[in-house]
Amino acid sequence: MKPAVPAATRFLAGMLRTDVVPHLTDFRAGNAAMTAAMLDMLADEWDVAASRLHSENAALHALLGKCAAFLGEAGPAPLEQSDLRVSALTATNEVLRARIIDLHAAIEENEGGAALEDEIWAVLRDTMETRRVASANF
Amino acid sequence: MKTITEDLLSSYLAARFPDWSGVAASNLERLPMGASRETFRFDLAYTDADGAHRERVILRRDPPLSNVDSDRRHEYESYRAIYGQGIPVPRMILLEEDPAHFGGAISLAEDLRGFHNSEYQLQEPAWADRLPRIADEMWSTLGRLAAVPCENLDLSFMTHATPATTAMQELDHWEGQLDANDVGPEPIIRAVIRWLRRNPPPPAQKLAMVHGDYRAGNFLYDDAGKLIAVLDWEMAHMGDPLEDLAWSMARVFSFGKDDRRSGVAPREEAIRIWEAASGLTVDPHAMRWWELAMCVKGQAIWDSCVHAWSSVDEPTVIHAYAAWWLRNAQDRAALELMGKL
Repeated sequence: MKPAVPAATRFLAGMLRTDVVPHLTDFRAGNAAMTAAMLDMLADEWDVAASRLHSENAALHALLGKCAAFLGEAGPAPLEQSDLRVSALTATNEVLRARIIDLHAAIEENEGGAALEDEIWAVLRDTMETRRVASANF
Repeated sequence: MKTITEDLLSSYLAARFPDWSGVAASNLERLPMGASRETFRFDLAYTDADGAHRERVILRRDPPLSNVDSDRRHEYESYRAIYGQGIPVPRMILLEEDPAHFGGAISLAEDLRGFHNSEYQLQEPAWADRLPRIADEMWSTLGRLAAVPCENLDLSFMTHATPATTAMQELDHWEGQLDANDVGPEPIIRAVIRWLRRNPPPPAQKLAMVHGDYRAGNFLYDDAGKLIAVLDWEMAHMGDPLEDLAWSMARVFSFGKDDRRSGVAPREEAIRIWEAASGLTVDPHAMRWWELAMCVKGQAIWDSCVHAWSSVDEPTVIHAYAAWWLRNAQDRAALELMGKL
């Protein structure tokens, strides 16, 4: 799409803030201001969402393999990411994140799992950092 | 959702109060307050045996599905319980629980106009010199709330708690809310929950009426920074007063995007003010436990925003906005408290 989606959504967010919000009051002004903020978030997300999910899924899948090996369990099925739509990548991501919860809990109960636990926290930290929202308070 | 109009309000109040005459609601407007309830203000005129009256009124209505599991009666009774106990709150006027009248239960309260409640305004340079006063008012009021003896209050409508049970009761509740409003796996928050269960806090020093959502944005203040009234008591409950202190210092409410909690004062200063006003001391382990528990609570609420937005016929912008804006920040706050950031 031309103009590029991030540029267009940021433009629309700016228009809302400067041309619309000042003419509204109370509830409607709040809604319009939040809509502008969401357009800014969308602009940030648009270009990176698929890439981020694709990389994150690979990292989670590798981590699941390590966790399963440590626990003596069967490793995960091969990672299938040929469908690059964000919805498909998100569905895969949620399957992997759900499995990480189970294995993380099992490793916490396992003596000798400290190093692997550190790896789990590092991956979780990385996934959080790549999802940071520019306007967030923290 | 049924549209609330001035005519609807006038006819309802005239029927509800047959001793009143000339009942007229005017200047009705919806306010941009909160994600969990609809808030309106209007002017009310009526005449009774004492003569003519004009009142400014706040109306709160329960939506079909909220991001907070509470109801009109709970907040109404909470305000009534704390009213007159040294914590400034608006006076309650009326509770109507029959949804036939307005499409959802409503409550009416006095409208304290001419004051501020904006967490963003406090970040403006013009307010910088008043932040120490705001901090003192904010956390000393919370400390005084902690000091109010529970036995002086009618909290019979609340779930019973004891100093020994409140921590796990709250954790159970918010984990249940996460489960009920599941919007996808939460590996960070689930790990936090496991840690909280392995490392329980000591029993509460005392049982208190906990506000449940005490932060900048939920109290009115005047031009000098004096706190006028504490609002939004819908999540009030009996519990450990450290819970309110922990929530008030949540990173996701650091509106200055720095170390000042609620965008007002550093963590240590907030604790110092609170301790002086409450007469209680902050145990570091208990405080960390509650701060992490508040991460679970926060994420449960932001997830329920997604659930509410996805489940109702008329979604509201704030539910989608809050979820986008807060869910990852909540994970980050949890990682910091876990020492994993």
